[in-house]
Formats: sequence, structure tokens, C-alpha cells
Amino acid sequence: MPKNWTTLTRRDFLKGAVGTAVGASVAGPDFLKATKTPPAASLVTIVRNADAMDASNAVDSSVLKGMLDQTLTKFTGKATPKEAWLSLVTLDDTIGLVPTPHLNPTHSEVVDAVKTSLVAAGIPENKIVDAQGGPDKPKACTALIGLPGLKAHWLTGIGTVMKLYIMYSGSPRSYHDQNSAKLGEIWNYPFVKGKTKLVLVDALHPLCDKGPQVDPRYKWPYNGLIAGSDPVAVESVCLRIIMEKRKALRGEDWPLSPPPLCLEAADKTYGLGTSSWDNIRVEHFGWSDDLLLG
Amino acid sequence: MLGKLLDKFCFNTLFLVGFVLVLGMMQLSSVLKKGEGEKMTETKPVLPLAIGEWTRSDSPKTVTAENIFDYMNGAGELYLGYRFDRCDVYEYRAESQKEILVELYQMKTSDDAFGLLSLDWGGTAVDLDPGSLKADRTDAIWPRALYGEGLLRLRSGRIYARVMATQETPESREAVLSLGRAVLQGRESFSHPKLLETLPEVLSTGWELRRDRASYFRTHLVLNSLYYLSHQNILDLDLACEAVATLYEKEDSAQKRTRIQFLLVKYPDGKRAREGLARFSAAYLPEHPFVSGPGDSWEAMDTVSLEDGWMAYKLQGKRIFFVFECPDRKTARTLMEEFN
Repeated sequence: MPKNWTTLTRRDFLKGAVGTAVGASVAGPDFLKATKTPPAASLVTIVRNADAMDASNAVDSSVLKGMLDQTLTKFTGKATPKEAWLSLVTLDDTIGLVPTPHLNPTHSEVVDAVKTSLVAAGIPENKIVDAQGGPDKPKACTALIGLPGLKAHWLTGIGTVMKLYIMYSGSPRSYHDQNSAKLGEIWNYPFVKGKTKLVLVDALHPLCDKGPQVDPRYKWPYNGLIAGSDPVAVESVCLRIIMEKRKALRGEDWPLSPPPLCLEAADKTYGLGTSSWDNIRVEHFGWSDDLLLG
Repeated sequence: MLGKLLDKFCFNTLFLVGFVLVLGMMQLSSVLKKGEGEKMTETKPVLPLAIGEWTRSDSPKTVTAENIFDYMNGAGELYLGYRFDRCDVYEYRAESQKEILVELYQMKTSDDAFGLLSLDWGGTAVDLDPGSLKADRTDAIWPRALYGEGLLRLRSGRIYARVMATQETPESREAVLSLGRAVLQGRESFSHPKLLETLPEVLSTGWELRRDRASYFRTHLVLNSLYYLSHQNILDLDLACEAVATLYEKEDSAQKRTRIQFLLVKYPDGKRAREGLARFSAAYLPEHPFVSGPGDSWEAMDTVSLEDGWMAYKLQGKRIFFVFECPDRKTARTLMEEFN
């Protein structure tokens, strides 16, 4: 029997040894691994508005614009959305917008709102491009704005932030299975690293189970935008919301299965940010019913 | 004249005999092709071109193993985790309503179609017999069609179908259920995997089967979505295997429900089962390694204390029974002795 069958198991999670185990279980060239210590504390904002969608789940674009403006100013501490954008990107940047393409996709209204807001900030329209797709997409950009839809994923636990760039690998299937822990390495590819200026999660109508295929029983109107520049912290907040919703649905703990190894590895191995709840500062604005932060 | 009549008689007789022979050969061929979980001839569903306000294009989009990831990204692994043949996709559109998507997953056996539905028994069981929408018949052990918030999931022979209204309205609900009836029209082939019959409803120790949590599957990716053991394939599962995961529950003295996780894997042969157990124990129980012995009838049983309670396994020919998260060793051992 091959000796390398000994591997990460449920018991490692129960022992609390996952961080170390994940670090040891993912392998790859050094340039893909952490090169700096994650920030001591990462800010993640949640802006919600109960009127963001109507009863038929149609998005109200004017309400959404207000939520986006508030997200930008609260996250950056700037006075206006324009100042906020210009603290994140420059007028010379080619800015790639990276939405979740299909199966619980990012609402087109969210993508449009971001594009309109960037143009209003003075970014030339022809410098704003759709950057979801193969590796050529990020190569053509100097800045990326991640716009994932919030969803659980049956292969990776959660399929929101860390999974957003999977097509940049050119071989997405190689990140299924146990290799999902390696999703973070894509963020360290030379043509991706450092380009992500903002992760803005479309949490208007998330999916808490069975993703990416949609099962409407597990979708609910959260009516939120979640933002941060630390992708791991943002994913951690997303994970908390998904877990709390699952618990609320069943009235008891309903663990995500499989557990999202990619999150721990993104922190411990790839140094993309912090997954430690103690090091994440969540600021919430607006509608507070069923905030689902535990 | 008589000669002509005889000629005609002979021709007709030969034609009739030939026709019967061809039919018989077709039937024989059909029977020969049928494997486990395929017991009845299946009629291909014919979906209406229009239903209520909705209409569809003439032909479906066909998704195969080659292009399934283009169609549904990583969700494709779920269907490839069963014996998948193809999926026919129909989109129904209407002027004043959002679209309805029909996905007909053609699986290679009815067990695989059952398995896909068994991954979630939630929703409302509906009876799609023409003319009625009452709750599922009480004599049906396992639901055949489940509806919830615009999504109908059903199994019929080798077909697993998802019929989903993008937005649930009274009209779209009726259309979805009508499409479900159309899928079932002329198809009466229902069955469940024999492996499920291994599961006792109630054990002598009072543990009760959670039928609503019983899932049938073949691969470790699906197992991990039900009960995580390892991202690696430590049980050496593949499409040649069959497995069932479920819960057994019992009320303790404080009237609190206690549950244990049950897992049964059936391998193609005893050798694979022994190797699977050896692989599992090396990864999961390094302190209690199982050493495979010679012979096809090798049997073994053990109980081990783990971080989340007691677990036990029993190797029995091609099958391995597991229980996890038992409150004590006696329970783990007693449970193992009851499963056969």
C-alpha cells in the first residue's frame, strides 16, 4: 500500500490540527506560497437594505447604488464614492471586473452598478473590462475587482471568494477534490498577485447548500453587499453567514461538508489574508434582521 | 391460382415468423443489456412543446461527460460521481413569466437516478399521477418526486430530472408539476437499490433509521458532501462500488435525541473490500491498522475510540459496515453485530 495514503482526515479537524495539516498537505513551488505576514486586523463591511430586492427577487438598482456608495465610503473611510475608488485604483489602471459567471451568478445589476460607479469616478469606460475567464483575462488587467456571488459549494464547502479565480488556472478541474485546498495559489500567480483591489460579494440572494447548482429552497434574501480587500477575511465572513443560515434552517448545527480547506490554506499557506475571526473587524450598516454573524 | 395463394400464405407466414423473431431478439437484447437497477423497459419522455404560457425550442441541448463542466462547472463532478450517460436540457420561455428549466439526466442504471434524488429527501413529496397532486402514496417507501419553492426533483427508472421555475408563481408551479407528469408519462419503472434493504428500520437496541437522511452513492466526492472523512479517497471508492450513508437516532434517558452516523460500502469483490479497509485504517486509524489476510471470506470487526466518540467497522465479504460517533464501545459493538 502506498505510504502517502496517510492524509488529512476528519480527525485532524476534531483535533484542531487542521492549520498545520493543511499547510503540510498542499505542495507547490515556493513562489506560490506566503511571502508576507497577513495583516493584524482586516476590515470587512456588510451593507444591507431590506428593499434591495422586491418580493419576486428583482433587484432595485437605485437601492443597490446607495448600498454600493455606502460600501465604498465606509470601507475606505473616504467622503465620496469617487474618492473611495481613487484610493483603490488609479486612472491609468485597466480594471477587470470578475463576477461569478453562472449557476447562482453575480447579479448583472451589481456588475453594472460597479461599472457605472467607476465611470462616475473618472475611469474611462474602455479601461473597465470583464475579466472572468482564462489566464489571458487577468494578464490584460492592472487591477481586479472581485465580484463573487455568495454560495456554498458541494465540492469545496464554500464557492465564493477563493474559487472566483479558478478559471485563471487554465485547468479548473485540477482544483476539485483534495486539490481544492490549493485554490489560494491561483491568487499568487505572477499575473494575478497583488492586483485585487477590492472584493465585493454579491450577498443579495445567497445559496447556503447544494451549490453551485441552484436549489431555491436554500436561497434566501440576505440583501447585502460584503466588502474588503483581504479576500480571506471576506470569505471567512461569508462562511460565517452560510453556516449560521444552515443552522437556522435546520434548527441545529448543519456543518458544511466537505469543510472548506481552501480558506485555511489561503491564510496559513498562501498568506492571502486572515481567517482568524479575532483578526477580522466586521462593520455592519443598514438592515440588521437575520444578520447571521453568530 | 392456388399456387399464388400458397405463395402469398408462405410469404405472410415467413414475414410474421420473421417479425416475431426480430421482436424476440430485440426483447432478448434489451434484457441482456439490463444490469442491476434496470428491470423494466423505459419509454423516452416526450415533453410538450408548450405548457401554459411557456414554449420550448424543438430540440434539447445535450450535455455529455465531455462537456458537462462547460454546462455546470464543478457541479458536473456530482453527476460523474454516479453512472452518468447524458443530460437533455430544455428551456421553456414565456412573455410574462421567468423561464422554466428542465434537465433530464439519463443515468446508466435506475440505482444511480435514485442516488441523485436520495442526496436530499427534503421538499414535499408529490404524487404526479395524472389528475392528482395529493401527498405521496403512503405505501411508497421512498419518495419519487419532491417539490420545493419552484424546483421539482424526480426519479423514474434511469432518469433523474430537475424541473425548475426561476421564479415560483401559482402558474409556474402548475407548469413545473405538469412537466413532471410529462416526464413520467408511460414510465412506471420505479425501484430502489437493493443495498438499502440492508438497513433495519429499528434496531433491537432502539436505534431508529433516519430514512430521510439515507443517501445512496458510489464515490468519495459524494461521500464527503454527506459525511466528511477525508479529501482523499481513503475508502478506495469508485463507480464500481455502492454505498449508503445515513443516521440512526435514539432518545436517551434525558429525552434528548442522540445520533450515530452509519456507512455501508459494497465493493465489487472481497479483495477490493479488504484493500479498501486496509487503506481506510492506514489513513484514519493509524493507531489501529487493519492487516488484510488471504482468502475471499475474510471477516473482521473492531471498535475504536476516536475524538468524536466510538467507531466500529465490520468487514463481511464484499461489504464493510461502519458506525461513527457512538456514545460508548458497547453501543458500537452491538450495532455492528446487528448489521448483516
